[in-house]
Amino acid sequence: MTSDTPTRARVLVVDDAATVRLYHSSLLTDAGFEVSEAANGLEAVEAALGAEFDLFVVDVNMPKMNGYACVESLRSETVGTAAPVVMISTEDRPGDAERAYRAGANLYLVKPVAGDRLVRVAGMLTAVEVAA
Amino acid sequence: MNPLLAQFLAEANDLLAQVDEGLLQLERVPGDPELVNEVFRAAHTFKGSSGLFDFPELTRLTHAAEDLLDAVRGGRLALDSQMTDDLLAAFDLIRGWLAHVTAHERLPASAGGDAAGLITRLRSPLGGGDTAPAAATAGVPAPVISAAPDWLAWFDAEWLTEIAAWLGTTSSTMRFVHYTPDTDCFFRAEDPLHLVRQVPALERLGLVQPPAWPDPEDYDEYTCLISFVVATRAALGELDYLFRYVPDQIEIVELDAGAITRHLSGEPPLTAEEPVTVAITPMIDTELAADARAVLRAAHSALTMEGVVNEGPRLRSVRHAVTAAARALGVPVDLAESGPDELLATVARLAGEAAPAPAMAAPMSDMSDVAVPPPPPMVVPADAPGRADDPGGQVGTRVLKVDQEKVDRLMELVGELNVAKNGLTFLADAAEEEFGSRVLSRRIKDQYAGMHRIAEELQAAVMDVRMLPLSVAFGRFPRLVRDLSRRLGKTIDLVTEGEDTMADKDVIEALGDPLVHLVRNSLDHGIETAEERLAAGKHGAAKLTLAAVADGDAVIVEVADDGRGVDPERVKRKAYEKGLISEEELETLTDTEAVDLVFRPGFSTADQVSDLSGRGVGMDAVRASVEKLGGTVTMRSKLGQGTSTRLRLPLSMAVTQVMVVSVAGQRFGIPVDLVVETVRVPAGEMSRVLHQEVVMMRGEVVPVVDLARALDMPWTLAEGADRPILVVSVNNQRVGLLVEQFHREVDVILKPMEGLLAYADEFSGTALLGDGLVLLVLNMKEVLGLAARVA
Repeated sequence: MTSDTPTRARVLVVDDAATVRLYHSSLLTDAGFEVSEAANGLEAVEAALGAEFDLFVVDVNMPKMNGYACVESLRSETVGTAAPVVMISTEDRPGDAERAYRAGANLYLVKPVAGDRLVRVAGMLTAVEVAA
Repeated sequence: MNPLLAQFLAEANDLLAQVDEGLLQLERVPGDPELVNEVFRAAHTFKGSSGLFDFPELTRLTHAAEDLLDAVRGGRLALDSQMTDDLLAAFDLIRGWLAHVTAHERLPASAGGDAAGLITRLRSPLGGGDTAPAAATAGVPAPVISAAPDWLAWFDAEWLTEIAAWLGTTSSTMRFVHYTPDTDCFFRAEDPLHLVRQVPALERLGLVQPPAWPDPEDYDEYTCLISFVVATRAALGELDYLFRYVPDQIEIVELDAGAITRHLSGEPPLTAEEPVTVAITPMIDTELAADARAVLRAAHSALTMEGVVNEGPRLRSVRHAVTAAARALGVPVDLAESGPDELLATVARLAGEAAPAPAMAAPMSDMSDVAVPPPPPMVVPADAPGRADDPGGQVGTRVLKVDQEKVDRLMELVGELNVAKNGLTFLADAAEEEFGSRVLSRRIKDQYAGMHRIAEELQAAVMDVRMLPLSVAFGRFPRLVRDLSRRLGKTIDLVTEGEDTMADKDVIEALGDPLVHLVRNSLDHGIETAEERLAAGKHGAAKLTLAAVADGDAVIVEVADDGRGVDPERVKRKAYEKGLISEEELETLTDTEAVDLVFRPGFSTADQVSDLSGRGVGMDAVRASVEKLGGTVTMRSKLGQGTSTRLRLPLSMAVTQVMVVSVAGQRFGIPVDLVVETVRVPAGEMSRVLHQEVVMMRGEVVPVVDLARALDMPWTLAEGADRPILVVSVNNQRVGLLVEQFHREVDVILKPMEGLLAYADEFSGTALLGDGLVLLVLNMKEVLGLAARVA
């Protein structure tokens, strides 16, 4: 499908709903990504502090630390990752996308995201090296 | 069932339990924002996951519940008990639906009707009718294509007509799939038929034959020439997931009634000669371009927000995203050192080149170049562990949810391993006795010792996996007590203690029914109405306690109330009237013994049978089921002060220790729990009281039962030989069992008697011994009853 991922790109799937997490991570794993999972924003930030990722797929509404706060932390100097972030939300309310972009996301999609689209977007965003 | 649906059902279970528990707690602590938030979150997560599947009614009902909870969370509404009832009813309905989904992978046909009333009720406090949901439900449906693809002609026209009519009346959707397996798919280990059969919520399956089959001599049976057309109610997500390995061979469309009708009336049917082409490959590029433009729009949004993208990770990430999008659009750019302004210019240029992108048409040069400092970074725990050595590792502890059956299978295998292991001791004996090699025998025994240790550890590990907290058994009671007490008009505080106590899952499972019965009994008979209580000088609200505590290798569960207690005189009189006790007993029974009468079969203290405790099944059923688990039940009661029923159960039922004895040349097992001691009594010390053989032991007269006689096995003991007697304690009474010989104690996995033998009550089960012998384990209570009858 996405032949132009040079090495296995590492993706962190962040969602509190185990079903959605399984859905996203199996789609991405099957497409050749190396996928890790986190069940909330805090876990995601913790993971990002310890390992490098080429892409983050982040849910909006999560316990402990929600998606917006999570992405802001990822973009803060403490974590400082420039890897693309795709936020995926259940809601499609006006202003949500702007909030996501303000937090530092690079794309905002609304659930459910068709499998081929998620894989396509992930492939596109990881096809170039993350700038240091 | 596909794994995604299975995962959803497992998750749903947890979430619904959270919702239930939260709502009940909220009744006690009304308006606790933390609790409201928790319930809302669980409902929200549930709705999100449900959107992956085509359960429109489920999503709509959850949505209504979620909206109500959201209003409560936002302080716009105060949760009252009517709303709580409606919410609980909604989630009960959902739970019922999910049971149906588990069996049939779809919602019951009545779902829409069942949900309608509840949705109206849930929405009425919000002041709105059922107007909002229609627009907001079911997440975002995939675009409905209005022009039917030509391969729709492969479906039966009559069926299509029906479906079109049905689609016109429902909010459900129908997706049509055309699956054209590659001609050499078999060489890639693909199994098209298997795949098609796994399509969830399958409505129609059609097989499309090639226009013409090749001549027999050219025919290659390893070539796949057929294709499939499928109609399903499954959601797009499920289908994407199912067909994830063959996306290029799949075409999925969702059609509305109009599209099907137009297809049926207008277009000429497809002729077999026309090759069916799947137009997915060329689509990818335009879809990719659309996604790339979406990324550019996002970058544009971010770049035009004041003070959002100026430097550091934010700038680099936008740079990265724009580079990736440009590449996808076929116009690579080098943005290595670009600042925000340059980036914005590039985005504008790319957007122009990659038209159409209406959102990009607006002028975009008004960004101020004043560098505003970025917003303060979120506080990140300073001690967050670094995991540089574990890139991409699992985050947090991972809890596996394992199917019960798998754990049961493991337990069975442990049992078989034990049997195989025990075989080694017989082999060691054989090595010495038959082959005369003491050395070999010793080595086998050493080997056995090692294996024994590992097997024991393995067994302990598996048993540990099977342990569940008592909270699993207690979990249903807050709800049950709440509902019943409301129905009875009684006020009851339920207190649970020791929910963390662990016990084997089989014990927990088997505990459910007896506990429900005891709790219902307390509510129904034990606890008085508030008026009666106040009149008796008690607090108006009754207290019902469910407590668990571990006691060695047993767990004690207690159900206690502070109700009216059991009246021993009344119990005795009733038992006498029912012919359960003699007139003499009526006089002599102590109060404790009298209370115990309620466990006798056929006893019921309630003058009127209420609809709660049901009829026919009484405390005798509780005692029987607890004893079946190898446990005991006792009841203590103080008139006017309350009743407490205590269940003592083994922590685990998987492994039973039995003592092996032989009787008339046959071996039997006796549960070690019951064994008090083994003695050899000289023949001369045996005596007789009336017709009963007895033996004096430490000043106590112990009746002796000849096990061979009780079991009707021909055997006589040599005159004058010492009598091997196994003393057991059954129902707090000591009985000596005359046997032929004692053997060792063994750990066995007891298998219940099955088939014809299921009615042989004198045996509690069978176990396989290491030498292949099947050991019958005696049910001592029955055997003693048998002995009494024989005598």
